Amino acid sequence: MENENFAIKIDQVSKTFRIPHEKINTVRGAFVNIFKQKSFEEFQALNNISIDIKKGEFLGIIGKNGSGKSTLLKILASIFSPNSGEVILDGRISPFLELGIGFNPELSGRDNVYLNATILGMTKKEIDKNFEKIIAFSGLEKFVDQKLIRYSSGMQVRLAFSVAIFANREILLMDEVLAVGDADFQKKCYDYFEKIKGQKTVIFVSHDLDSIKKFCDRTLVLHKGNILALEKPSLAIDTYLKILKESK
Amino acid sequence: MQLQQENYKELIWMLAKTDFKLRYHGSVLGYFWAVLKPLLMFTILNFVFSSIFNPRVIGNEYYSLQLLSAIVLFNFFSEGTSAGMNSLLFKSQLITKIYVPRWTIILASTINATLIFLMNLLVVILFFAIKGFMPSLGAIIMFMLFSILTYILILSFSLFTAPLYVKFRDLSLIWEVAIAALFYATPIIYPLQMLPLYIQRVLLLNPMAFIIHFTKESLITNHFADFWQNIIFIAIILIAFGLSIPSYRKFSPNLAEEI
Repeated sequence: MENENFAIKIDQVSKTFRIPHEKINTVRGAFVNIFKQKSFEEFQALNNISIDIKKGEFLGIIGKNGSGKSTLLKILASIFSPNSGEVILDGRISPFLELGIGFNPELSGRDNVYLNATILGMTKKEIDKNFEKIIAFSGLEKFVDQKLIRYSSGMQVRLAFSVAIFANREILLMDEVLAVGDADFQKKCYDYFEKIKGQKTVIFVSHDLDSIKKFCDRTLVLHKGNILALEKPSLAIDTYLKILKESK
Repeated sequence: MQLQQENYKELIWMLAKTDFKLRYHGSVLGYFWAVLKPLLMFTILNFVFSSIFNPRVIGNEYYSLQLLSAIVLFNFFSEGTSAGMNSLLFKSQLITKIYVPRWTIILASTINATLIFLMNLLVVILFFAIKGFMPSLGAIIMFMLFSILTYILILSFSLFTAPLYVKFRDLSLIWEVAIAALFYATPIIYPLQMLPLYIQRVLLLNPMAFIIHFTKESLITNHFADFWQNIIFIAIILIAFGLSIPSYRKFSPNLAEEI
């Protein structure tokens, strides 16, 4: 391929949501409103976004609520399909949009690790091989065969985070994962970031401007679905603070 | 896209296994619950209807064996279709927080229903052994074929309704009522022969009625549907399956936005 250095190529991606004035979500409703003109409003979540992200780049995304950050991540993770444009990926993605997807309180820690890791795309062989390490990293050796319901929320997050980092994909999408843990957990995350910086491609959405400044190579400022800035973190943060002030 | 092909199999199996475990493992009686529901239903219906119908009307002394086989098959159908329909909405986290192909979720729920069916089958075999009745080899093969056809029916129904259920949240209520009606429109508790001929014909248009009627007939009296009837029936089910795939394709892409 020509553009071998790119991990992600976002090419003129737009996404519009239709928000109906009256949401019909029953068969009964559909029948009752069969002859009614359906009215809706369109909400442009992303407007013609193009970005090339290099392999090994640490890209931060900041923006106000509703600026399109999460929509962009969900399109990268193929959860949403764009209305137009396309995303080309080189490498496998590990979405950290939420930690512990599929976790069930009624299952043991062990079962949950296997379940969550399988959902993240690991094979049974990979999980078997890494199981001890995952548990060791989470520091939950004693609780591994207890039901998840007995775990504190902090323990659950630790377990989920351990699984997620051992999923070991080339591209990581992080949506405010740091917001959930205590100081200890955050330190673990930072250490992990230091370790993978430069090796993996990371897209990092956060409201925590300090960590954006600390880790990111470039930072994208989104505003109402448009790119307002894509530059060095310190400059991007200035732009972001400016629009925050303006809107007040 | 993110998962490699070979991992889909593991994902589907993992989801099915987890559902199965969650449903029965936590309870005191464990997996026994899986067989208890049809067994209780059988005990009640058998008690009620053995005393209403006398053996001469039904035509044979093995009413209870027929009833049990019919209940287990119908239970497979009703549990499988409901679980399949609910699958995407119940597992909405797998749709809104990560990408896995949506059909893997639907497939996993039908496989979970199949696991329960297979456990129920053990009970059926046990009852046949207790009664000391051995169906013919042909009847056993026919039964296996009918089980597979029931599965295809469940899968088609699920592929068709699971994405729609996300949009129309009252589908499950409608289906619950439909299942209750189907239970009586299917010759489970009564023999089909007790109805007038033209009603028999109408009832046999219901695929579960066809499957259950001929299962009962073949297992006990070794009487089969004729060759062309079976071929047409199989063809209809395969066509239904064939139609469910484009329907799934049409309705599944924008589910994350809908949920």
